[in-house]
Amino acid sequence: MPDKPGSRSSGFDRRAFMAGAAGSALIPITARAASEDARAPAAQDPSLPVEVTLRVNGKDKRLSIDARTTVLDALREHLKLTGSKKGCDHGQCGACTVLIDDRRVVSCLTLALAAEGQEITTVEGLATDDRLHPMQQAFIDNDAFQCGYCTPGQIMSAIACVKEGHAGSEADIREYMSGNICRCAAYPNIVAAVKQAAPEIMKG
Amino acid sequence: MTAAAPAPKTNMGQPVPRYDAAAKVTGKATYASDMPLDNPAHAFLVTSAIAKGRIDRFELDDAKRVRGVIDIVTHENAPKLKESKLFSNGGYAGTTIQPLKSAEITHDGQIIAVVLAESYEAAREAANRVKVSYTAAAPSATFDSPGTTAAAAKGQNSQFKEDPKVGDFAKAFDAAEVKLSVSYETPTQHHNPMELFTTSCAWMGDNLVIYEGSQYVYGLKNGVAEQLGIDADKVRVVNPYVGGGFGSRGSMTPRTAIIAAIARRLNRPIKLVPTRDQGFTIATYRAETRHEIRLGASRDGKLVALRHEGAEVSSRPDAYCVGGTKTTTRLYACPNVDSLVSIVRADRNTPGFMRSPPEVPYLFALESALDELAVKLNMDPVELRRINDATRDPIDGKPYTSRSLMACFDEAAKAFGWSQRSPQPKSMSDGDWLIGYGCAATCYPTQMAPSAARVRLQRDGRTRVEIAGHEIGTGAYTVIAQTAAERLGVSLEKVAVFMGDSDLPPAPVAGGSNSTASTCSAVMMVCDQIRHRLFKALMPSDSLADKAKETVGISPAPSTQAAKGDRRLDIEKAFDALGVGVVEEYGEWKPEGAPLDSFRAMHNGQVRLVGGHQMKDQIAYAFGAEFVEIRVNRFTHEIRCPRLVGAFAAGRIMNPRTARSQLMGGLIWGMSSALLEATEIDERNARYVNDNLADYLVPVNADVPGVEVIMLSEQDDHINPVGAKGLGELANVGTNAAICNAIHHATGQRIRKLPVRLENIEL
Repeated sequence: MPDKPGSRSSGFDRRAFMAGAAGSALIPITARAASEDARAPAAQDPSLPVEVTLRVNGKDKRLSIDARTTVLDALREHLKLTGSKKGCDHGQCGACTVLIDDRRVVSCLTLALAAEGQEITTVEGLATDDRLHPMQQAFIDNDAFQCGYCTPGQIMSAIACVKEGHAGSEADIREYMSGNICRCAAYPNIVAAVKQAAPEIMKG
Repeated sequence: MTAAAPAPKTNMGQPVPRYDAAAKVTGKATYASDMPLDNPAHAFLVTSAIAKGRIDRFELDDAKRVRGVIDIVTHENAPKLKESKLFSNGGYAGTTIQPLKSAEITHDGQIIAVVLAESYEAAREAANRVKVSYTAAAPSATFDSPGTTAAAAKGQNSQFKEDPKVGDFAKAFDAAEVKLSVSYETPTQHHNPMELFTTSCAWMGDNLVIYEGSQYVYGLKNGVAEQLGIDADKVRVVNPYVGGGFGSRGSMTPRTAIIAAIARRLNRPIKLVPTRDQGFTIATYRAETRHEIRLGASRDGKLVALRHEGAEVSSRPDAYCVGGTKTTTRLYACPNVDSLVSIVRADRNTPGFMRSPPEVPYLFALESALDELAVKLNMDPVELRRINDATRDPIDGKPYTSRSLMACFDEAAKAFGWSQRSPQPKSMSDGDWLIGYGCAATCYPTQMAPSAARVRLQRDGRTRVEIAGHEIGTGAYTVIAQTAAERLGVSLEKVAVFMGDSDLPPAPVAGGSNSTASTCSAVMMVCDQIRHRLFKALMPSDSLADKAKETVGISPAPSTQAAKGDRRLDIEKAFDALGVGVVEEYGEWKPEGAPLDSFRAMHNGQVRLVGGHQMKDQIAYAFGAEFVEIRVNRFTHEIRCPRLVGAFAAGRIMNPRTARSQLMGGLIWGMSSALLEATEIDERNARYVNDNLADYLVPVNADVPGVEVIMLSEQDDHINPVGAKGLGELANVGTNAAICNAIHHATGQRIRKLPVRLENIEL
């Protein structure tokens, strides 16, 4: 993920943050061991609000958040964009998948601060002027969901799957869509949807 | 038409796209944790690290120092709640084990503290800083663990009434020409719906709103009210969309009332988002089971004796009962039947319903045993089932309302290419892969429960249907909208459906596959009330009714029953005649044979399911047949399931699109129950080991290359006004047996314990 120069508004150094806080705070199991952090100077306290500007679906959103906030929680709890779903918070289920600079990313394992200056696309950003994205339409046509909870993640993943060139065959689609769990098991319909939408997406 | 929207056959509705499709593909469908709250406190649970013992002490100083922590609630300072009874004893709860009630620990992962903070991040950090000292006792984990107790299910659980028996099993088995005596085992499984077990609670004065994914909003509303000691009318449960249920959200879990009580004390909304691993212990799961099957048959394959003994694990305080013998003793014609179900108590959280709760484990045993018998008899397993096909309930002698089991076998066999199978085990292969074909029957009781509905029709045809049903992915919105549109003769686009809200007229639990039959029957009845009013307005005199068609061009029959020449009721004319702007009707429907207290119970959030073998003069089941191809690598023993084919008959198919999807998902669930899913327990500590989605295996897209669903045309006028049999729990039954039968065909090895892993294959 390349940095875009001049994109950071808070002056916060993302790499320094990643080195300092991600290991100790994001993963709960080590939080206990790292209890020294709580008594560390306030400047390093991750719970102190940090200013960050996220570019989501083409709009800049300025936030003041706990430094440990994930992209997923920033979207859901702070920006009220609840389309992206929390299914495991561990990067195991894919329900939180969003596009960051056109790559599919599990937003539950991505810190909001680390996404600053990058283009975040969520399921809310796909339809234009009430016209559904071809992948959304294909999911409807092929009944590629039941409860619908994994669907935003499936759709984001499916768009990336096509753009990556991994939708050339049904076997490929099955393989490259296997990071997104659908407990209702709409899988054969998801494959059909990706197949239907792929030519139109590749056309641009 | 896509494969997803098969053309309707006789007695099937139109395969219209889902009512909620656009909301679900745009992210606009709001699940419980998507609901906006005004300045909520975030809750994070602390759960016990031992399965049995006592909490000696909490050390909270470190946790309280975390910036943003508001409070930490433990048994020492928790609000007091009233007891809740188990659903099967007239209550609402899936477990009677109450969190934060005392220092006692009854199972692994019991809720022992609730941390409240200004942010999710702070709540999580503080929860991880809570230190707990325990005095641990040695827990009993499961079957054969020291300290478990076992007793017959009958008498322990009011929903398990009888161990079915008929004739003289012992004598018939002794005298049988061919005998089989075998044991089977199925594991603990967890539903793992994609949506976490979140709960948000907000008080407005004395009124409580709960946002929580639920399969039974009336049950939850009444259960929480009971625990809080407040009037049920003060509680409202809202969940227009539910991110999968599979039984896990059917009964009240312990988290809801305590979060509501803490929110009341805090005087602030609370949002709880438990973790995936906490979901393994704060809700229910499928109990592990063991089975002893004995079959006696004549040499020509006729069953003469059948005995099914089941044992199931439950928790110490609660006798949850799987109890599948009610189905396995009735599936095949057999004059001498015996059965017994017993419950083993261990130090576990209480198990509960998981998709086809009795049928998945119990038919695994029976349908595997049938295949073993077929091998013993040197007979095609399909033919063995044909020989023993029943037209009447073998226990009570009542006729089936309809039974298309063998028609399903024949259709599925043809589509699968069963005739290509060479019967000898290990006789088919493709390079390094041994190939096996296997099959099994499935069935599921047709159940109904009382339901109410309110329907409002406007002059321009716009229709609003209100019913506290549940959209857990089944297509409930869609089939209810279709029912109203067809019944009133308005176009589907004009129908709006409101569900998932306990302020709406009561509907039953979305469980036991009763929803479509119950809710659509209620909606149909209320639409007919509206039709009746409109028709009466146009035709005030009964004597003129017969001439109505010729004179003013209307028919008293709803559009679904109208004859070809009938003209639709002219809604605008009827409104003019009535002189009103809106016609609204409320009605309460109950199935035949529902007990006297049905409607009262319905409002109180208690389900009175009828149907299956409990009907007065008949027995009602849906049936199906499933065929699978299994490939086992002769060197690595890797097991693959390239093809699943199922044929099903379930009365009227309301919408072939949503029905096919449910059946398809069911087949994949069935495969999963055989090859993937098991919650592993550390028997020394009675704790779950693989409590996450990386280690608890559920199917992913690459696991299911080929699934074919065939829906048979079936008409059944004896079950409910809609004529529909539930099918949400039909397709995932028997698949596990079909897969083990196919593995036997591929390898010659009979596997009687699920799930089947490659290390279980010996070649």
